[in-house]
Amino acid sequence: MSTAKTVTYKEILAEYPDAEKLKFCFECGICTASCPMAELLKGEYNPRSILEKIFLRSEDAMASDELWLCAWCYRCYRHCPQALKPPEIFLQVRKFAVKCGYGRAFENAIRKIVKVSPLPLVTILACFHPERAGLNLNEVINETEKLKKEFLNEKKKEIQAESSKRKVAVIGSGPAGLTVAHELAFKNYKVTVFEALSEPGGMLRRCLPAYRLPREFLDRDIEVLKDIGVKIETGVAVGKDFDFSSLQKQGYDAIFIGVGAHKGQELRVEGVDLNGVVHALDFLWMVNSGKVPDVKGKHVVVIGGGNVAVDSARTALQCGAEEATIFYRRSVEEMPANPWEVKEAQNEGVKIEFLVSPKKFLGDNGKVSAVEFVRMRLGELDETGRRRPLPIEGSEFVKEADMVILAIGEVPDLSFLPKDVELNEDGTIWVNPLTMETTLKGVFAGGDAVTGPASIIEAICAGKIAAASIDCYLKSLDLR
Amino acid sequence: MPERFWRTPLDIEKVSRPKAEIHILKDQCKGCGFCIQYCPKKVLEESDEINARGVHPPRVVDEKNCILCSFCTAICPDFAIFVKEKQCKDGC
Amino acid sequence: MSKEEIRIGVYVCHCGLNIAGSVDCKEVAEFAATLPHVVLARDYRYTCSDQGQALIKNDIREYRLNRVVVASCSPRLHEPTFRKVCEEAGLNKYLFEMANIREQCSWVHLYDREAATEKAKDLVKMAVAKAALLKPASEIEVPIIRKALIIGGGVAGIQAALDLADTGYKVYLVEREPSIGGMMARIDKTFPTMDCSICILAPKMSDVGHHPNIELLTNSEVVDVKGYIGNFRVKVLKKPRYVKEDCSACGECSKVCPMTAPNEFDAGLALRHAIYTPFAQAVPSTYIIDMNLCLNKDGVIVCDKCVKACERQAIDFTMKPETVELEVGTIIVATGADVFDPSALPQYGYSKYLNVITSLEFERLINAGGPSGGRLIRPSDMKVPKRVAFIQCVGSRSNKTGRTYCSNVCCMNTIKDSLLIKEHWPETEIYVFYVDIRAYGKGFEDLYKRAKKEGVIFIRGLPAEIIEDKRTRNLWLIGENTLLKEPYKMNFDMVILSVGLEPRKDSEVIQRLLTLSRTQDGFFMEAHPKLRPVDAATGGIFFAGCAEAPKDIKDSVTQASAAAARAGILMAKGKVTVEAITPILDVEKCKACGLCTKVCPYNAITLNKELKRIEIVEAACGGCGTCAAECPSDALTQNHFTDEQIIAQIDAVTEHDADKKIVAFCCNWCAYAGADFAGVSRMQYPPNVRIIRTMCSGRVAPKFVERAFARGAAAVLVAGCHPGDCHYINANYHTQRRVERLWKKMEQNGLNKERLQLLWVSAAEGERFASKIYEMQKIVENITPKEIELAKKVFQKSGGA
Repeated sequence: MSTAKTVTYKEILAEYPDAEKLKFCFECGICTASCPMAELLKGEYNPRSILEKIFLRSEDAMASDELWLCAWCYRCYRHCPQALKPPEIFLQVRKFAVKCGYGRAFENAIRKIVKVSPLPLVTILACFHPERAGLNLNEVINETEKLKKEFLNEKKKEIQAESSKRKVAVIGSGPAGLTVAHELAFKNYKVTVFEALSEPGGMLRRCLPAYRLPREFLDRDIEVLKDIGVKIETGVAVGKDFDFSSLQKQGYDAIFIGVGAHKGQELRVEGVDLNGVVHALDFLWMVNSGKVPDVKGKHVVVIGGGNVAVDSARTALQCGAEEATIFYRRSVEEMPANPWEVKEAQNEGVKIEFLVSPKKFLGDNGKVSAVEFVRMRLGELDETGRRRPLPIEGSEFVKEADMVILAIGEVPDLSFLPKDVELNEDGTIWVNPLTMETTLKGVFAGGDAVTGPASIIEAICAGKIAAASIDCYLKSLDLR
Repeated sequence: MPERFWRTPLDIEKVSRPKAEIHILKDQCKGCGFCIQYCPKKVLEESDEINARGVHPPRVVDEKNCILCSFCTAICPDFAIFVKEKQCKDGC
Repeated sequence: MSKEEIRIGVYVCHCGLNIAGSVDCKEVAEFAATLPHVVLARDYRYTCSDQGQALIKNDIREYRLNRVVVASCSPRLHEPTFRKVCEEAGLNKYLFEMANIREQCSWVHLYDREAATEKAKDLVKMAVAKAALLKPASEIEVPIIRKALIIGGGVAGIQAALDLADTGYKVYLVEREPSIGGMMARIDKTFPTMDCSICILAPKMSDVGHHPNIELLTNSEVVDVKGYIGNFRVKVLKKPRYVKEDCSACGECSKVCPMTAPNEFDAGLALRHAIYTPFAQAVPSTYIIDMNLCLNKDGVIVCDKCVKACERQAIDFTMKPETVELEVGTIIVATGADVFDPSALPQYGYSKYLNVITSLEFERLINAGGPSGGRLIRPSDMKVPKRVAFIQCVGSRSNKTGRTYCSNVCCMNTIKDSLLIKEHWPETEIYVFYVDIRAYGKGFEDLYKRAKKEGVIFIRGLPAEIIEDKRTRNLWLIGENTLLKEPYKMNFDMVILSVGLEPRKDSEVIQRLLTLSRTQDGFFMEAHPKLRPVDAATGGIFFAGCAEAPKDIKDSVTQASAAAARAGILMAKGKVTVEAITPILDVEKCKACGLCTKVCPYNAITLNKELKRIEIVEAACGGCGTCAAECPSDALTQNHFTDEQIIAQIDAVTEHDADKKIVAFCCNWCAYAGADFAGVSRMQYPPNVRIIRTMCSGRVAPKFVERAFARGAAAVLVAGCHPGDCHYINANYHTQRRVERLWKKMEQNGLNKERLQLLWVSAAEGERFASKIYEMQKIVENITPKEIELAKKVFQKSGGA
């Protein structure tokens, strides 16, 4: 499909505010190295060369399906020495591509997505966001379903009649766990998934707001797993309903831990046990399971700066809150939330205040009524490489609040693990990055439990690597 | 000017530390606490026992940390504590 | 007042196509011929060439010209050239004026020939108006003290000191650390010859220690600098060593000292005692006691082990800090650079993973005199690594860390390091992860080829992150091989981060003391990047070594010798002429109010109460003109920048179409230079700004701004150096004060105060200047004729017209 005139990159990037920064790109390859999609699509997707093509051959870049494969995890931005934002650059080019008539390139992209992602509908909606570039979401979903069916039919032919005797246990039915289950089931292993909540999906079910991922699509993707013989047991929590050590006794040859990071960090501040002070994950689960809390006309204060904080604020507004404000203790550059979603939240009316930290929660008859904040300034670097916030004396101020949502970070709850499985300093599980195996033989881990809170696509990528490793490991057991 | 060094120096084992013997004359101590306060390596602390004078004399927390600076020896008003260098006899 | 007829010659330069490409020079010359007092107007291709200069000299004689105006490049570049031409033709050099129609006209309006030509005409008109009022002046001579001060005792400071001392001048070498030697003393071998670093440095250090003309002040810092070129009064704080010079450096004291701490010289990899010498070849060799570590505090001596051990009885706990005052004629700044701390990049795990080290720590490990005796060992288990990785561009060339420049030395340093490893442990596998290998100097490419021949593998693609294997403490590097378009996940025993150089954390202190400028990168700024690479903009101060930009040893030594030569030129002449831009006092009008004495940054004006007038010390005057702007009785004006001359320029600009023009007052050192920089970088901006040059923004009196508005100017811009960076120390604070008062007046009279803008811009911020003009253009476009008339009325009343 050709257009009348040749388009130059200057036109494409004309409205992109950070276009000036692109001159700093020196092709170091760090973006491609950190990209989970590049890892999944080995060789078929290279963000660095797309970036280069935008300058050298803009037409080729726009016509390519690789343009649509960025999953908005922003890992490249966090590692890029020039602080470039490839997701937003690609979005700008996509918009132009759609205008110039290259929108059909997304079909090829869907083919690739369906090939690598065991949850195609979930990822299209919650990771790839084709609607941001102007494509019609319903069309895309229909196309995805079609290609998914085709792909699965092809793949099912590969499943042999005789299945392996090996059993694999997957703890946690989040994206990492479901990916491992999907891959291993297609390799003929018997997979059982243990899920603590009443429905499978992990964070996808518990916390992702419905406007980002309508639950019917999640159910449709999970149906596929049930179809190919994966057993999903819900309502069983490891450590409470059964012991970790009992899994080996039950004959499971390999175990994958995908429990995610579901424990909200504690905030040691006066008044944190007042009524109305909730953890973000609990709040989101309440909304997502249908028990909408009473926030109509109320002032909601959200403390934290990650994706969970932004989701909580947006959800609170959608549930009818009068005002939802996010208070983050550092500045906008250090905010870990997805920058695009922060922008969307602000457009929806969420207010954000930077360099503030709560000093105490003030209550009225045991119920929270206001929050006392103190302004912060940034000091020297701390262990995470970010500047430590220090309070400015005498700058306290009070903000009235009917509900306070704490979203200051999540850690995995790993109390059930035996001591042989070594942890990192920040409480996540240590794994060999090539095989995803923990320090205990036969036990693998991936997803948020290993990296800390991260994105869906990273969990899927980790699941794929773990599944391939588990396959190797089980085959090596057979050889003995 | 002093920079913050996070690394443990590589020769921390090699730099010879004289081994110390801390001698406390418990009954001469009058419990002033100066030796505990001024020890730069915090090797001493108040013990629970009571001596002839009715006070708590100091006790050694970890003799290995003593650097033989002899502050305690110099500052004790009653000559109740002194340090001696342990002579290296059997491959210490 | 001579009744001599004013005869002005105007030369409009083509500068090849630099000016002629966007300005119609012939038209401008023809226009110039119509201006009052102009008897000759020419356009010429290269006025600064020999032929051009000869032409001017000839014309002065033939046409009896007594004022010359050259419209060409920036006066910051060629004013001295043309002034010399005038002098050689017998004309006083202060009867010459330049119009900047290149950096501030043709280069910034490349695509609007008509507007550029109109602007050039205006600029020539302004120059002619000022030239008509110029008076001859003579410069006073100030003697130069034949002594030099060198701040910093690294290899650059040492070389400069030796060169100056050998020439015969007395040199004071001030070094902050207890010993000279700087970074070079810590390195093992130098590239490209693989010479042992300390072996080639130690003889030079020893020479400095013994030289009769060099006074070495180590463990000392410069705390105050007063004065001007040729006559600096410097206060140096000598911090006490607590050890007398009787010290024979036997080391017995160190052996018995009980306190230990990580050694700064070894980058924290080894221990030193409270009484120590930084390294074996230190000059001076006298030991020093670190009182922060020593057990004896606040004069209470309890631990006296070192005193007992010292045979020479050289330890003296009663030593006190001493301040000495030095009088020098020239200063060389050789303060060096700091090394980037990679803790700011958490994905590389420095300070978390033991086996990730920096290139500086590597130098200390592989140095035979270092903490491991020359064995490259892994800090985690003290074993020699079998697989090693070097990562380039750590902290340099990165927008994220804020250091966007290339540090020059890291690529060659890595190549040298890899060859050193191969020399001792030929079986070690070495990988270098790079983006570009910069092997630009003599012998560098050969060294690079040698490294490749020895089997060092170069992979183009930096790792995105480093992950540690908890059991072995090995490191995985995850990245993309961009040439093969393949990802890599490689395991290594040890990773060396090739860190870049950054400006000293406290370079601000030196900057304030000596009124220097810094570039955007934070290093000190030289007067001109090509033609005066070792001079600072401030007269009498020179740069050597990494203080000015990251460079290797050869370039540091070269620059040090160059700085010594430049300082030598000044001191050989024995005297320096002070530019005749000092104040002129009209004694009749002086009311002895004393306001001028309060604003002079150099304290060059005093109030004589008996004579009821002020007195000016011309030799101390810096030439800023703030006093002239402050005087409420019009009794003070500045030579060569008189009130009449500036008003003549304002009138010339606002004669036609004033309501579309921006009158800008720019200070010579920052704002004007910034506008020049915008021109050099070909940044385009709207053509309706007319710049009037003053030495300092402090010269801009409120009456100038009022005059511009009274004549109908659309907007006025007052631009100067950033507060704290003023070339005349603090004169721009007064500019701020005056502009704020004007804003208040405008508001009170119902005027749009946006029409008067105040801009702080440095010489490196061409972009800022250009964007300000764009901003003001919008304001100019929205001004109504009513507003213009109102401003005219308001300011004419206050006596502006």
